Amino acid sequence: MSSYERSSRRESYGRERRSAPRRASDSYDLERRSSSRQVERRRMRFSLLSIGRGLDVPFILLILVLLAVGIIMMFSASYPTAYYQIGDSYYYLKRQLLFAVIGLVIMIVVSYVDYHYYHRFALFILGLSYFALVLVLVLPAQNGVHRWVGIGSFGIQASEISKFAIILFLAHWGSRYYDKMDTFKYGILPAAAVFASTSLLLLLEPHYSCIVIVFILTVVMMFVSGIKLKWLIIGGVVVLGLVLLLWVTGMLTYAMQRLEGWGQALTTTRDDGELWDTTWQTRNSLYAIGSGGVFGLGLGQSRQKYLYLPEPQNDFIFAIVCEELGLIGAVVILIIFALLVWRGIVISLRARDRFGKLLGIGLVTHIGLQVILNILVITDWLPNTGISLPFFSYGGSSLMMLLFEMGIVLSISRSSVMEKS
Amino acid sequence: MGANQRLRRRTVWLLIIVLAVGFGAVIARLGYLQIIKGEDLQRRAVEQQLSDTTISAKRGTIYDCNGKILAQSASVWRVVLAPAYFQNDDQRHFVASRLAEILSLDEQSVYEDCQEHSYYVSVKRKIESEEKEKILELQNEIEEKYDISNVISLFDDYKRYYPYSTLASSVIGFTGSDDQGLSGIEYQYDEYLTGTPGRIIAAKNAGQTDMPYGFNQNIEAVDGNSIVLTIDETIQSIVEKYMAQGIIDNAVYNRGVCIIMDVNTGEVLAMASVNGFDLNDPFEISAEAKEKINKIDTDYLVKEEIIEDPSKLSQEELNKELATAKSVAESAALAKQWRNKAISDTYYPGSVFKMVTLSMALEEHLVNSESRFNCSGSYQVYESTIHCHNTAGHGTQTYQEALMNSCNPAFIQIGQLIGEEKFWEYYQAFGFADKTGIDLPGESEDQFFDWEGVEGAMGPTDLAVASFGQNFSITPIQMITACAAVCNGGSLVQPHVVKQITDKDGNVVKTISTETKRQVISKSVSDEMRGILEQNAVEGSGKNGYVAGYRIGGKTGTTEKLIDENGDGVKDYIASYCGFAPANDPKVACLVFFDTPTSGSYYGSQVSAPVFASIMGEVLPYLEISAQYTEDELQNVNITAGSYTGMSVEDAERQANLDGFNVTVKGDGNTVLAQNPVTGSSLPMEGTIVLYTDEESSKEKVTVPTFIGYTVYDVNIIASYSDLNISIAGSASSYDATAISQSIAEGTEVSPGTVITVTFSAGSIND
Repeated sequence: MSSYERSSRRESYGRERRSAPRRASDSYDLERRSSSRQVERRRMRFSLLSIGRGLDVPFILLILVLLAVGIIMMFSASYPTAYYQIGDSYYYLKRQLLFAVIGLVIMIVVSYVDYHYYHRFALFILGLSYFALVLVLVLPAQNGVHRWVGIGSFGIQASEISKFAIILFLAHWGSRYYDKMDTFKYGILPAAAVFASTSLLLLLEPHYSCIVIVFILTVVMMFVSGIKLKWLIIGGVVVLGLVLLLWVTGMLTYAMQRLEGWGQALTTTRDDGELWDTTWQTRNSLYAIGSGGVFGLGLGQSRQKYLYLPEPQNDFIFAIVCEELGLIGAVVILIIFALLVWRGIVISLRARDRFGKLLGIGLVTHIGLQVILNILVITDWLPNTGISLPFFSYGGSSLMMLLFEMGIVLSISRSSVMEKS
Repeated sequence: MGANQRLRRRTVWLLIIVLAVGFGAVIARLGYLQIIKGEDLQRRAVEQQLSDTTISAKRGTIYDCNGKILAQSASVWRVVLAPAYFQNDDQRHFVASRLAEILSLDEQSVYEDCQEHSYYVSVKRKIESEEKEKILELQNEIEEKYDISNVISLFDDYKRYYPYSTLASSVIGFTGSDDQGLSGIEYQYDEYLTGTPGRIIAAKNAGQTDMPYGFNQNIEAVDGNSIVLTIDETIQSIVEKYMAQGIIDNAVYNRGVCIIMDVNTGEVLAMASVNGFDLNDPFEISAEAKEKINKIDTDYLVKEEIIEDPSKLSQEELNKELATAKSVAESAALAKQWRNKAISDTYYPGSVFKMVTLSMALEEHLVNSESRFNCSGSYQVYESTIHCHNTAGHGTQTYQEALMNSCNPAFIQIGQLIGEEKFWEYYQAFGFADKTGIDLPGESEDQFFDWEGVEGAMGPTDLAVASFGQNFSITPIQMITACAAVCNGGSLVQPHVVKQITDKDGNVVKTISTETKRQVISKSVSDEMRGILEQNAVEGSGKNGYVAGYRIGGKTGTTEKLIDENGDGVKDYIASYCGFAPANDPKVACLVFFDTPTSGSYYGSQVSAPVFASIMGEVLPYLEISAQYTEDELQNVNITAGSYTGMSVEDAERQANLDGFNVTVKGDGNTVLAQNPVTGSSLPMEGTIVLYTDEESSKEKVTVPTFIGYTVYDVNIIASYSDLNISIAGSASSYDATAISQSIAEGTEVSPGTVITVTFSAGSIND
């Protein structure tokens, strides 16, 4: 394995396809062809759990643990709301369980699909993402924002598709033109274009937090794809300059005010009227977290979930986790998340080819990012803009999407060269 | 570097950033919130979860030192609406109109309350049980009529009552509408008195409806602690009675102060700013002040320079100015009646301060039996001439005589011996430079000299006038505390009005014990000062403060105020007397202080000393300090008449003589049918008991003569001629005391044997 890893890309392809010409210019064509035509690998046969061909057992175990803990906590957090607002304490639990089962099936099925298959769909899915983003804008708004596309009772956030689409596209692009990633034309331009267009559409929804996630994911994908570091530095300087400009012109203060009481949750008083209401959720999240202390109030013992914290089963579920399980419980869960990220990265790095590596890194980073940003939101370090917590937050489509993505990582793990148990 | 290697390296960096920075930050943030901020956030969460279901705690009781209740909270109720339960507007209108009727509120505003979508709208606080019953009926009516309950609820609440209404009003203080202390003890000890409101946890969710799942926890309200004062209701009543009389007698413009303090413990037994106000209705302005406010008219506005020319203003503007002036005057009147003069007013202590000056000189051994101080009637200090009240001069005096004469030139000389530096040192040692720290709000600071910015440094004439208590200001509480130090052996004690704090079951939470700040003068100097001051009270300038049978020490003081406050064109004065008893082993000190007497006499010896004597004359027996009368005094001591009615004339006469009375028999019968004074009345030893033996004689009347201007001796003779009895008040022991008032006016027809109280005062003394 080590020799495989050490050998250059060109050599490896050379070894696989012995008849291929050895000229440098031809090797690009080779990568391109291999990605588009899915030579050989599609015919690979996987078997469950075997080294070299099986699933990565630690990764799937971490997923199952998080899913189990997530559903229990989602139930605990949601039952008062479900009781008061719907009249059925088990309403959210029943649905989440159903989606979890469907999601797990999807995950296993997807893990059998050779991920190189997605090379073909990268552009199609990107197109689908744009279509969905435009579609939501024409559909009627819910709660003042255009985020959901749906058929009947089943809906999905357009941004969920977008995030996946961008990861997939950048992985596809980065593996195809891996040797040109240090150029502006290949390394920067496409990614920047995709990001700019997507974020423009997200801006119209509006869905700011998703722009932040898309931005970070884009930068991460570009970074690992091998763009020149100077572009990152230039990008950083440009962003910094932009922020500075906004600050000097007073636009930043205005924007901060628009961010509905960000960081003011605890200093606001009832007399502040609207601000008190807009910071209500964050404030009650902080109350919940603080109430938990080190050891927590005990499973099911949260008080804040009794209508004080609105929608405790959604984005702010981790506040209830902190209240019931305390700092210790929260840290244990975060460690499991960290292990998942770590294992996901290990799997990705040992993937057989660049596409697998980039795709895996993108998907796993997305989860880590989502966890970090979610908790920074509920602790009032970031404005309250709707970032859900993977495996925990209620939501059928996003859970299935998540498990679908995990299926892809598992699929990558089947072909990665590593010990899997 | 190969592309793969770069990817690998960059991914490792990414992993490190995500895990270390990202998760690190998240865990750090959670740790901060859950450990460092945890307690605060939890408290706020609990507050929110329970805030609307508080159970009022009962405010603690305030007792006097004998357990008499001075302030107490009684049960009342608070009416709370939960308008979210209303189903239609009919119901809202019905409830609004009925509630407005029962609680005498504005119907429209109640209706507005009914429209809120809330489960908790407080409608009225502190309703009494009568209204409460009506509300309960209304509750039933609503339930029957509309089948909704919970719309109106009643919560326990408390109201403050002050059984003695005006007694010690400036000390006890009062509370506001939210039961929070606003002044006096109520304010100072609010934290202890308030208690902790109780809560019903988890009975409510954020929507204020009941929760379906467990977690019911009732936290009972913890009633406030009770405060036991050092104030004694009996002594306070005595003090206020005589002070009020003193204010009437001397037409005092700006109220009076009396403090009685235990000299050894610093416990304040009575503290009165008279006249006070009704604690049950603290915002009611006294009739006198009201009258003044009502008199505010255009002329007043011109005189006070609020407006220049009334003809230039429209009627409307004028009315506005008048209303403003009246409301300003009302606030001022309230502030004035609430003011605790005993600790908030500063004044020149005047001659009373001479006891402090002399203590300094004795402690520093600057005067001795050889020292002589000459007084020619005035004294030249640098460019100013300071006159003595005795313009003829006191001649050559020892220091004892100087104090008894209250001679200013002598004290200037003593002051010069002490020197500025020592004077300032002792001034601080006696506690004048700091607030006493008494446990009451609103204590003022002294105002002493500063010379070229140096505090305590004096200019050329400052020391001269300071030595007899002029040109620097202190509070009455500072003066009596210093007096206590002078007479109690030299230790400066901490004055305080609270003795103990107990919980609602009477268990002691905190006891305030005697705190001695420092030893100011030696015991021997204190002993000597006691002797001098006692002598002063017997035959010196303080003799009007003498109380027969008791060993009193005391000093008078009269100070001129710089501002003519009442605007009558006559100089304003403060007349004070500060003394203690018994002089051989002092128990209590008493300071009497009248601010601006306007009836003509303004000297401490004439205005304050008699009041001091009257107060101490009742307080000392109450404190069970036994009287020791001199032979002369014994004659003036009142004893109780026995029952002689029904006896034979002979037996009655013998018995009355045995009891120490003279007897006059009226009528020709053999049996005593009636007597005057009646059984149990008090009259002086060797007074006259008139025994009636027939109907006819009991109708006989005598005419009351005048006693005013006569000495005690003469008064007794006149009385015995008229078959009247005399009860002596005031200072009767000195040879030159003359009667200044009598309780029954000249010319009144009374039965023989009637007791007439005659008040004496030693004339021609001033200070």
